[in-house]
Amino acid sequence: MSDDGRIALSLTLNGRALDVETPACATLLDLLRDRLGLTGVKKGCDMGACGACTVLMGGRRIKSCLALAAACDGGAITTIEGIGTLDDLHPLQAAFIRHDALQCGYCTPGQILSGIALLAETPKDLAAIREGMSGNLCRCGAYPNIVAAIAEVAGL
Amino acid sequence: MSPGPVTRWEAGLKVTGQAVFAAETPAPGLLYAVLVEAPVGCGTVLAVDAAQARRTPGFADLISYPEAQGLKPSSVTALIREPTIHFAGQPVALVVAENLAAAQAAARAVRVEAEARPAIAALGQALDQAYTPATAGRNPAESRRGDAARALAEAHLVVRRRYETAVNNHHPMEPHAVVCCWEGDRVTVHTSTQAVFGARAAIAHAFGLPAEDARVVSRFLGGGFGCKGQLWWPWMMQAMLAARRTGRPVRLELTRAQLFTLAGRRSETVQELAVGLDADGRLTAIDHQVLAQTSTHGEYADTTAGVSRWLYACPNVTTRHRLVRTNEPQPIPMRAPGTAPGTFALESALDEAAAALGIDPVDLRVRNHGDHDQEAGRPWSSKRLLECYRVGAERFGWAHRPAAGAAGDGRWRLGSGMASTFYAQHLQPSRARVRLAADASLVVQCGTQDMGNGAYTALGQMAAEALGVPMSRVTVELGDTLLPQGPISAGSQVTVSISPAVAMATAELRAILAQLAVADQASPLAGQRPEDLDFADGLVRSRTGNVAEPLADLLARQAPAGLEAEGSADLPQVQTHSFMSHGAVFVEVGVDPDLGEVRVRRVCAAFAAGRIVNPLLATSQYVGGLIGGIGMALHERTVTDLASGRILGDNFADYLIPVHADMPTFDIALVHEDDTHLPGGIKGVGMLGTAGVQAAIANAIFDAVGRRVRRLPIRIEDILGHPDPRDGFETLT
Repeated sequence: MSDDGRIALSLTLNGRALDVETPACATLLDLLRDRLGLTGVKKGCDMGACGACTVLMGGRRIKSCLALAAACDGGAITTIEGIGTLDDLHPLQAAFIRHDALQCGYCTPGQILSGIALLAETPKDLAAIREGMSGNLCRCGAYPNIVAAIAEVAGL
Repeated sequence: MSPGPVTRWEAGLKVTGQAVFAAETPAPGLLYAVLVEAPVGCGTVLAVDAAQARRTPGFADLISYPEAQGLKPSSVTALIREPTIHFAGQPVALVVAENLAAAQAAARAVRVEAEARPAIAALGQALDQAYTPATAGRNPAESRRGDAARALAEAHLVVRRRYETAVNNHHPMEPHAVVCCWEGDRVTVHTSTQAVFGARAAIAHAFGLPAEDARVVSRFLGGGFGCKGQLWWPWMMQAMLAARRTGRPVRLELTRAQLFTLAGRRSETVQELAVGLDADGRLTAIDHQVLAQTSTHGEYADTTAGVSRWLYACPNVTTRHRLVRTNEPQPIPMRAPGTAPGTFALESALDEAAAALGIDPVDLRVRNHGDHDQEAGRPWSSKRLLECYRVGAERFGWAHRPAAGAAGDGRWRLGSGMASTFYAQHLQPSRARVRLAADASLVVQCGTQDMGNGAYTALGQMAAEALGVPMSRVTVELGDTLLPQGPISAGSQVTVSISPAVAMATAELRAILAQLAVADQASPLAGQRPEDLDFADGLVRSRTGNVAEPLADLLARQAPAGLEAEGSADLPQVQTHSFMSHGAVFVEVGVDPDLGEVRVRRVCAAFAAGRIVNPLLATSQYVGGLIGGIGMALHERTVTDLASGRILGDNFADYLIPVHADMPTFDIALVHEDDTHLPGGIKGVGMLGTAGVQAAIANAIFDAVGRRVRRLPIRIEDILGHPDPRDGFETLT
């Protein structure tokens, strides 16, 4: 830790090595969204209840508002910016568009990242997808289309 | 191969995280703002002591009442100009600092001295002060046709009940935010608002600016549902004051907890409802009395009893709305304002009546179908509610449902219920601009907003279809006061309101293009009559002869700089018809009679709302509305602590909203409806799905376990507690 309470971190962020200093109290969410400009990471509640800030760490989904940035040293973090681009969409992103699995779009990056991690957990049916996605809130009510998109990519 | 459904225009930006929401607007030198909340729930601020805050590292400025005196007095600026504390959690100052943590630390260091007065923390504490406001929503607060009291006295059956609905909060996933930046006396305000032009007018008034010196931008809106309007603007203006004083851009983002207090709420209601029917199940009387909460600093009432005025044929109807002022946050419209709590009451009472008379609930509603608007004495512009009942019942399997209380599935008792829904259609004036480039790509511009309602897609589709340009060649620009003025995003009015403006602009472009084509000897269309030309599939073609040419070829020769047209639509001077969309909602629930748990298993709904511009997006809107209605029915309740006046459990762990695991299956029927009286034959779809489903759920619970619940949200204790001793029926015979 430096004299002013900042901590040096080494991250792999969307596949790239990155060294960054962060205040000791900063969350991973604030580091990504505010400091690093990865605004696809959304702040919905800042207390781990809505899932809008979901990112992948080592392929597992975490709520970045509940993770201290300083505790992520050495971690491999993937945000929505590292998943796919307009010209090269991830299959789940394409399925979200086809199934109209979004309305306002604010919860969408978190839903997609959570869905990608859930796919790796091989859900066995729609009920398992619903259960596994229940940490990601959507207020517009896109839930059934989100589940349909994930189910399609899962081959269910 | 068919092109398939038109998907959401901006979906690619949203699934890749590239859609930029207000708080994410880049602004070099940004300062971060945090609100300082009042220490009491009712009283007066005597002093705001910032001495210690000013010494915290990174502190930049503080805005409180003295700093806001330069703003013009108005209902918007009152809360930041006048040191009266109306409700717990009301901000009394705003602090800006170099980063968010520094702003939070400085805000904690602000000492607020206040004189406390006794607060009215609940509607029930001031019932003797209930009053009738001038209006309920956009309608009169009271209405009377015929003689309901007399008809009730003479009715064959009277169902007289009290219905209660809880306070709900909108909770868009994106909290309200602003990033504002002054350049001299001109300001650019990126903010999440459902009304960029309304925000600009309020800013221009408060700051004494010419309207053109304030630009308000809201390109992407992370949900709104009614709460991203004027209640947010005072705090947005505090941030603007800080930006002007410091000469730096300022960002303010509300916290999730502040969305319980600063952004509005659906008021609680207590509804005293009496319906009278004859032996054939025809309504002879409705008396609907609504009590709701408003704040001590503002006034708003939903038209909750509108359902009794409009939904059915009934010769004798009396309605009244009354309000009680409390030291609680200000109510404003929220998702199906009025119709959501109102249909819960009336559609629950009709279910009781149907059971008492031994008439099928669908049949009872068919018998009471209103073939014209009795309240206004006008014909409906269109109304296919009867078809909604037929289609919805058929797809649900209503006729073959098990007898009440007879169906089970393991620990679950199953029940079916239904209800009608409706929403009044209103129009706003709108303008739109359409620009066709030489390569036949299209730009459509309108200063309305897209909060998830599909405005980008609808606007793009209307222009694309009119000019025969594929959607892949269309760019839509919304949410900016530099664009032609468009409607506010509220009340399911956007698509129908912008439709005539887009139609006018595209008609002008078609006329110009047709003239150019027929007069151009280089065109295969030369010599044709302009009125015979058609625009489709990227071609200009003759409807009478077998000739066509690509639109891009014509443009490249005749309009290499492109073409542009603007359309505008004012409101009709005389309203000859009443405009209403309708639907029928059928629900199957499972109730665990031992644990009191309720699960919605299946929702089948049929809606008739004019011409559907985009079936995929309209279906999403209906499902989203139904989910909001399920939340109101089973989950959502905002509770005020009676001692402190503060909101209890002001977070997503305690304020329950529906999650993935709560989802039933949905089957949505879009009932075709021609309407020749509304622009484009279009009606709104956003609000329609959010009402009706609450009563359908309550009616299905009765069907499952014989328990009438007349209070929302329906909780475990409502299923397990003692039955209401008032259950039963008053019958004359």
